[in-house]
Amino acid sequence: MLVRILVLLYLAGAPALAQTLCQPNASNGYRVRISIKTALGNQAYEWNENEMFLFRATMAFAMRRCYKTETYNVDNIIVCNQTLRVSFWFVVTSPENSTMLIPKADVEKAVSMSRHRINNAFLLTDRTLEFLGIHPTLAEPVNPDTPPWLIVFGVVIGAVFAGIIALLVSSLLQKRRKEKGMMEDGQDEEDMQVKGVENGNVLDGIYNRGFTDDDRFTKL
Amino acid sequence: LIETDAARAEWDNPMQFVLACVSYAVGLGNVWRFPYLCQMHGGGGFLIPYMLMLVLLGVPLFYMELAIGQKMRLGSIGAWRAISPYLGGVGMASVVTSMYLCLYYNVINAWSFWYLFHSFQSILPWAECPANSNLTGPVEECERATPTQYFFYRETLDISGSIEENGGIHMGQALCLLLAWIIVYLFIVKGVKSTGKVVYFTATFPYLVLIIYLIRGVTLHGAINGVKYMFTPKMEQLAKPTTWINAATQIFFSLGLGFGSLIAFASYNQYNNNFEKQAIVVSMVNSGTSIFASIVTFSIYGFKATFNYESCLERVRLLLLNTFDLAEDTISLENVNHWIAELNRTHPEQFASLGGRLETCDLEAELDTAVEGTGLAFIVYSEAIKNMPVSQLWSVLYFIMLLLLGMGSMLGNVIAVITPLSDLKFISVLSYPVGLVCLFCLLLGLGFTTRSGNYWFTMFNDYGATFSLLFIVLIEVITVCYIYGIKRFEKDVEDMLGHRLNWYWKIMLAGVSPILLIALFIFYIVNYIQGGTPTYQAWNKELGKSVVTEYPPYAQAFIGLLLASSVCCIPLTALYTYCKKRNLASGKRERTVSTVSL
Repeated sequence: MLVRILVLLYLAGAPALAQTLCQPNASNGYRVRISIKTALGNQAYEWNENEMFLFRATMAFAMRRCYKTETYNVDNIIVCNQTLRVSFWFVVTSPENSTMLIPKADVEKAVSMSRHRINNAFLLTDRTLEFLGIHPTLAEPVNPDTPPWLIVFGVVIGAVFAGIIALLVSSLLQKRRKEKGMMEDGQDEEDMQVKGVENGNVLDGIYNRGFTDDDRFTKL
Repeated sequence: LIETDAARAEWDNPMQFVLACVSYAVGLGNVWRFPYLCQMHGGGGFLIPYMLMLVLLGVPLFYMELAIGQKMRLGSIGAWRAISPYLGGVGMASVVTSMYLCLYYNVINAWSFWYLFHSFQSILPWAECPANSNLTGPVEECERATPTQYFFYRETLDISGSIEENGGIHMGQALCLLLAWIIVYLFIVKGVKSTGKVVYFTATFPYLVLIIYLIRGVTLHGAINGVKYMFTPKMEQLAKPTTWINAATQIFFSLGLGFGSLIAFASYNQYNNNFEKQAIVVSMVNSGTSIFASIVTFSIYGFKATFNYESCLERVRLLLLNTFDLAEDTISLENVNHWIAELNRTHPEQFASLGGRLETCDLEAELDTAVEGTGLAFIVYSEAIKNMPVSQLWSVLYFIMLLLLGMGSMLGNVIAVITPLSDLKFISVLSYPVGLVCLFCLLLGLGFTTRSGNYWFTMFNDYGATFSLLFIVLIEVITVCYIYGIKRFEKDVEDMLGHRLNWYWKIMLAGVSPILLIALFIFYIVNYIQGGTPTYQAWNKELGKSVVTEYPPYAQAFIGLLLASSVCCIPLTALYTYCKKRNLASGKRERTVSTVSL
């Protein structure tokens, strides 16, 4: 009889005890904030008891995955203070002793390890499923061996050098053609003809460009 | 003694000359300085002083420079020496100023190349902050500033904290500068033959990109805010003298007067080329492009401001939701402000606890952040581009356009240096000396790619050409109209064009323009003296923003040197010629303008 009364008291007290373990700003608890509508827009699902159950199950999974020796259950994850925002506090109790809370650092380690899985269970991201106080680990920056800009630079400067070579080759060919053609005005020597001009004013008359050696005069 | 080859190189057709002038005049200033001025001085109302200055100052001076070049058929040194032997220094000053411009201007092209090459990535590097070394969050400097600023100041420039702190050369920048100079060299290596063909592309392609951007810009969300903001005239700005001064200087520098490039371009014209029509056409095209570019810029501005405004609203919304634990769909972007008032009323203590975290989101304030110069082109624009869909494409297009605008102007700058030097036979007509000039500029330009290089760049940009140009063009106008004589000028023009100078040209050149120039000149001096110690914007990596810093004494001395070195050419050459003439008083037959009595 006494045993039954004790059992009844224990069963009545257990949830109350659980509630005192989980409190806002608890030293070993974390606050979770969920923004479903921001993440999914029109396809947002409603946050209800079932979703909360999934959360607790996912957290238990995360704890199991991290600490392989202990078997965590849904009962070990206690939630409280749910608001309309959809934010709530949770604490994790130890499977052996349900009054003992798992320290904050251990919980953080478990969450960080399985963050990706937790996010995916809810179709959310690091930003829309926030564990306040746990910073998401950013993705490893991709460091290619050759920076991509150098590749483009290489292509462009290759094209430019090809242009220079084409230019040199074409001017060489032109020179050779001219040597054969024997035009009267000679080559790239500095034999400028000084015409009698006055103070820079070119004498009247339109210069007949029929005899101009283009190649010579275009050099600056 | 000026000896010239009677068969000078020429443009293949007048169109090449016009396109060369357009390519030179339409440059980065049209894209980034004019929209800034428009915004600063009352939007649509700024067009009034701008157009007025164009008619009173811009077109006549442009006409004068083309006339001189075409008549004398020499670069700036030879042409001015021919006009008046005492004032050959004007040409020298132009060459020195153009030289300074050559040194630093190509660095902008190097940056354009850098950004262009970095646009070929799936995520634009200036779109997000890179992660810090232990992957917990973004790099601090980037977090305090914005990703685009971080990319420009840290990854592109690797800027130091002040002009005194030097550092090594940024290899990427150096490579891009090398590429830019190689391309410039290729463009001018064959003289006007190669330049003439290149300008077909550099003059027209930017317009294509601008049109594409216009279509994209006006269809962006929020673009209309920017365009409306720009065109709303604030007539009270017209009462301020700075508006008129800025309009005059913008016309002046935008047309590229005084550098000697226009004289050099025109010297390759046929003697009877109708430069009068061309002068008007090019000036109009240049101004039209400025207005067109500012429409594009302002639609991009409007998009960026609206985007930032809406991001701000979103952040405030989240903050309210999180602090007051309201359900997600209670506050939307539209009723944020309503909710702020509501929550302040119902939960005053909790609201007060928000404190400084609550931002005020103001669209006007976003639009008001006027930025000019390299900040606009490389920070603001890239910020807007990263938010556009298919941002890589827009980025590539934009930076190609900047490159073409910059290259086109660079052509003019380099030709302004090379033409007079080759006329004087300092460098022969072989292409290797041209290459040497380019190499020389490249090596000196590497100084701008060092860690403090951007500060030196800004110094050159602000002081290298502004004051000296005003002085040069003032002397030019006075020389042509009063020393050479407006009557002789008239006769020369009639000789070339076949008809006399219009009354408009005569009045402007002889009267209005010199007066306006003198007024501008005096204003500059007064402003410089009143401004106190010259300052610059130094990037502070702890704060993540630019702070106003004074130049150290040696930098101020250098500024003085920059100004003096070009301006001094004029009196020094006059003195030198005077002394030479006195020493060779009799006998020697000088080939000078003999009828000028001095």
